[in-house]
Amino acid sequence: MKKIFLLLVILGFCANFVFAQNVDEIINKANLVSYYAGKDGKSKVKMIITDSQGRKRNREFKILRFNVKDGGEQKFYVYFEKPTDVARMTYMVWKNLGKDDDRWMYLPALDLVRRIAASDKRSSFVGSHFVYEDVSGRGVDTDIHELLGEEDGFYKIKNTPKDDQGIEFSTYAVWIDKNNFMPMKAEYYNKAGDLIRTIEALEVKDIDGHPTVFKSQATDFERGGQTVMEFSDVQYDIGLDDNIFTERYLRKPPMQWIQ
Amino acid sequence: MKRIFFILFFIFILVQPSFAAWPQIHGFIETDYGVKLSDDDTKRDNYNLFEQRLQLRANHYFSGDNYLAQKGGALSFRGDFTVDEYYSGKTDFELRELNLSLTPVDFMDLKIGRQVLTWGTGDYLFINDMFSKDYVSFFTGRDDEYLKKPSDAIKASLYPKFANIDFIVIPYFTPNTIAKGDRLSFFDSFQGGITGVNSDRDIIKPPFQMSNNEYALRFYRNFGSNEGAFYFFHGFDKNPRSYKNEALKQLYYEPVDVYGASLRGPFASGIGNIEFGYINSRDDSDGNIRTVENSFFKTMAGYTKDLGNDLKVGFQYMYEQRLDYSEYRDNLLPNDYRWDEYRHLITNRITKLFKNQTVMVSLFTFYSPSDDDGYVRSSVSYDISDQWKVTFGANLPWGEDDTTEFGQMKRNKNIYTRIRYSF
Repeated sequence: MKKIFLLLVILGFCANFVFAQNVDEIINKANLVSYYAGKDGKSKVKMIITDSQGRKRNREFKILRFNVKDGGEQKFYVYFEKPTDVARMTYMVWKNLGKDDDRWMYLPALDLVRRIAASDKRSSFVGSHFVYEDVSGRGVDTDIHELLGEEDGFYKIKNTPKDDQGIEFSTYAVWIDKNNFMPMKAEYYNKAGDLIRTIEALEVKDIDGHPTVFKSQATDFERGGQTVMEFSDVQYDIGLDDNIFTERYLRKPPMQWIQ
Repeated sequence: MKRIFFILFFIFILVQPSFAAWPQIHGFIETDYGVKLSDDDTKRDNYNLFEQRLQLRANHYFSGDNYLAQKGGALSFRGDFTVDEYYSGKTDFELRELNLSLTPVDFMDLKIGRQVLTWGTGDYLFINDMFSKDYVSFFTGRDDEYLKKPSDAIKASLYPKFANIDFIVIPYFTPNTIAKGDRLSFFDSFQGGITGVNSDRDIIKPPFQMSNNEYALRFYRNFGSNEGAFYFFHGFDKNPRSYKNEALKQLYYEPVDVYGASLRGPFASGIGNIEFGYINSRDDSDGNIRTVENSFFKTMAGYTKDLGNDLKVGFQYMYEQRLDYSEYRDNLLPNDYRWDEYRHLITNRITKLFKNQTVMVSLFTFYSPSDDDGYVRSSVSYDISDQWKVTFGANLPWGEDDTTEFGQMKRNKNIYTRIRYSF
């Protein structure tokens, strides 16, 4: 009897181990698929922000991305086009792992390069319902991942932050496409277990062998309102230079990549 | 000034065939109104800001086979048409930007023409940024954009491997716009107190000649996430702090050289910055000429932190020391005003955004324990839509004495409102 019990414990332990490895593998793949496609990339982004009273605002910008290390450090460059009061503003992020990102903003009317304190990755990105982490990725090591099961071609994974300080949700579930590892939906829950926020990929296309989100939506169920993000002119491996992600090009946008 | 305009106009004519299409024009139209909260002897009792403004801006990127297109040439234009009710509906045009930028060789960018220039690490505090500012706009409540005055300049930015270098030549001197008694009252030493329209001092600008060119140089580079910079400036103080001829009530902008350095980077889960500068007063290096401002040493340290939920706070401390103080003191005459040797200044900024970042509440406070003065600058703005924006704000300088930086501005307290339509 005891032996059987012991065997069961050992088996259970092993199964858990295999399972755990599996879920981290899935999360790592999903992270690479959604944020690291190609060596670099560019895209045009249109955001339609709708507040709880149905008022709409638009944001349009170009985004350039450069992978310093696959699954690791990245650099982003954002060139704003609309609304017109922020047109020609540029924004740069050096995404770091294990320490705060470095962020800079250039205000052309003031010729001012401002360094932005960036400890809060859960704050809204340009007033939308997406937060910074949705745009640049949430560190895979910041959560404990748990595979809840497989349903309709998706892995369903529960994620619990290791450190919940300053985080508005208590857990979130993510549905990852089993075929291409693209996260298709995420649901965020508060402590009481209420659904407070979702992010959905509404349209995914294949570009040069990389599954690519062309339309996504973030919905806020607590305060109401949602943001639709539409991507166009997506290109990978265009040969961006690390040099573009410096103060020089913050002040003088690299028009060959922006136009 | 006119010369640069003509040069650019000629470039424009020459390259005009390469314009594929006329550039898009954007800008805004706005109305500003600022009510005075204190009495003084300026031109108007009720308000010190009442104007309509139309800003137009356009950019053109050259295309085709010509030289400018191959070298990434671009023209930038930004200009403001104003109707100023403070001066009974006076109309004006202010050219804020008209410049040509290009990359003639890979490691160098050039920007020629009228441009806004800024560097340094302070927030509303400037040590190595010796470019001209408009403090009348600042104290009356115009948008922050108008604190920076454009300069007519040639800027060469070089990017060798080891560092980045900016070198600027400013052939035409542009002073700070400061209170002169018509719109804002200030301390006028010739009048012996806070003065309005009675001020009749005469400010002499350095004449337009080669030897009066201003030069500004910055070396900067990143060390990981940290940014270090060295600065040098050769030119003139942008405020008239020295006397040319006391009997004629003449002031002038004394020539200065500024040497400085700064460091900025992540610190204690926020952003920290330090900067210092040594300002050598070239006409009075030893400090014994009583009519000319002495040399200075200035330093500051700042810290900004993001507290989450769109709440940010920042603190700064600045220290200024008038050098060769004993020489200065020993050469004063009995009736002269005697300025202090030291000044300590602390600032605080709190910014909070609400409602999907469409409402911004901002409070900026200056306080000098040594001068016993300060300045509270607060504003609330609301983006009604992508086009419409309203702003309410207050400018509340105060001080025990009439002679200190903020104390002399204490009768200019105001609240203002602005409505802007962007297109």
